[in-house]
Amino acid sequence: MSEPTYPRPAIRALVSVLVALHVFAVFLGPFALPPSSDLAAGSFRLFQPYVQGAFLDTGYRFFAPEPGPSHLVRYELIGPDDKPIVRTFPDRNLDRPRLLYHRHFMLSEFLNTTREMSERRGNREILDALARSYARHLAKRYDAKEVTLYLQQHELPFIRDVQQGMLLTDPSLYAADPNEKEIKFGPYRGDELRRDEP
Amino acid sequence: MSTVDESYVRHWSRDVLGAWNRFWFTPADPATLSLIRILAGAMLFYTHLIWSLDLEAFFGPDGWFSISFVRMYQAGGYGWSYFWWLTSPAAMWTAHILALIVFAMFTLGLFSRTTAVLAFIITCSYVGRAPGALFGLDQINRLLAMYLMLGPCGAAYSLDRLWAKRRAGGQLPQAPPSVAANVAIRLIQIHMCIIYFFAAVGKLNGTAWWTGTAMWLAFANYEYQSVDMTWTAHWPLLLNLMTHVTVFWELTYWALIWPRLSRPVMLLLAVPLHMGIAICLGMVTFGLVMLFGNLAFVPPSFVRASIGRLTGKQGRGAEQALSSAAAGATIRRGALSAAGPRRKRH
Repeated sequence: MSEPTYPRPAIRALVSVLVALHVFAVFLGPFALPPSSDLAAGSFRLFQPYVQGAFLDTGYRFFAPEPGPSHLVRYELIGPDDKPIVRTFPDRNLDRPRLLYHRHFMLSEFLNTTREMSERRGNREILDALARSYARHLAKRYDAKEVTLYLQQHELPFIRDVQQGMLLTDPSLYAADPNEKEIKFGPYRGDELRRDEP
Repeated sequence: MSTVDESYVRHWSRDVLGAWNRFWFTPADPATLSLIRILAGAMLFYTHLIWSLDLEAFFGPDGWFSISFVRMYQAGGYGWSYFWWLTSPAAMWTAHILALIVFAMFTLGLFSRTTAVLAFIITCSYVGRAPGALFGLDQINRLLAMYLMLGPCGAAYSLDRLWAKRRAGGQLPQAPPSVAANVAIRLIQIHMCIIYFFAAVGKLNGTAWWTGTAMWLAFANYEYQSVDMTWTAHWPLLLNLMTHVTVFWELTYWALIWPRLSRPVMLLLAVPLHMGIAICLGMVTFGLVMLFGNLAFVPPSFVRASIGRLTGKQGRGAEQALSSAAAGATIRRGALSAAGPRRKRH
């Protein structure tokens, strides 16, 4: 069988080097995400401008190590007329279509993953900045005088509990242990939040 | 080193080089790439259309992610976004509407080479500005936009092609095979393998993937649920089976997707797996976009024949291509040329 018409050797050599480097960078994205070896982390630093510039620094660890509980953010505001407003995101009834709901779901999950990361590092600076950023947005959106956020964990029921009739929305799955399942951010004063730099 | 050894090394080197050249540099019919352009372009359009429902909340300076927070979060990194320069609502909306127009043109294949590059830049800019609102959909959107930009994704099934045909007086030969189309498809294929490999390896750390209960944990998550699957609590062995099939499919994808015998099986299994995520876990967009990525493994002859059938423009050649592609007969030489086009004969 005859060979197909290939590009010139110089072009092939150049493209080969580029694709090899690119594929290595694609591999490094998930490989070097923590926890990682010194070798992986060192290689990542070498490729960091490219990996991050091309937004390849993602783990692809879908539902890994295993599907866990989800997280919700309940926010309590005092409106401009001193009336309280209490809402939660994500909200299956309000956030439509489903993709918009999922964006709001990711916001609450992001607050939780940032909390976990902050606990591992022993530094709350970025967690506080994120919570304040959410609070600032809500203060501006509702012209609120005060904003408080609660990060809430929605536990997953055991199979045997559901076999015996438990619903996924059973209240015990949200509030069996409030100290562990709800983390408070704030209260933040609305006028101070509005003065924050963007 | 003995002469026999030298001969072995020389032959081995020549074989490796030949396989490398066949894999990357065999010109490919751009039909598959063009089909992926239509589907990925439509997904990019829809994804960004939904941002419109709360654009300023996600990308504005008073949104969920203040500029100062994102700067702190991305400190020392190389993420980028043109939204840093678009802070007024008027500028943001203007850019957003232009972005939607670009995605629409890209989907339809109008000025494809230009809109492909713009689609990638736009996709990255949205991702770079709202880091905490993203999920798998955005990763695959970006991946497809990146590789579609590298090849002639508008060479078939596009307004560009229609326009060229009109200028040629209604007669235009099929778009020629292209090395760039092959490179783009190969990169999508390899990227998909890396994704599934790490998706599987990550799961191996989780007890529930070994005990066969991970699917239950996914179904029991009310925030993900879009179809009530709690009836599976009464079918634990079914949950075990679904869990194990998921892990083994992901774990072996990078190897079994290449041989012509196992490729159709792997592609067929991708459908229930990703449509299950789409329908049961409320992520239709993510499920679909993963299937679009898997299309990179579908031979162009099969794509042409299938589209020919759908549009009623199928000739005898298309019929033959459909049957031969289905039988794997278009795959000429082993695994490395599995998605390759027909070879030119000198």
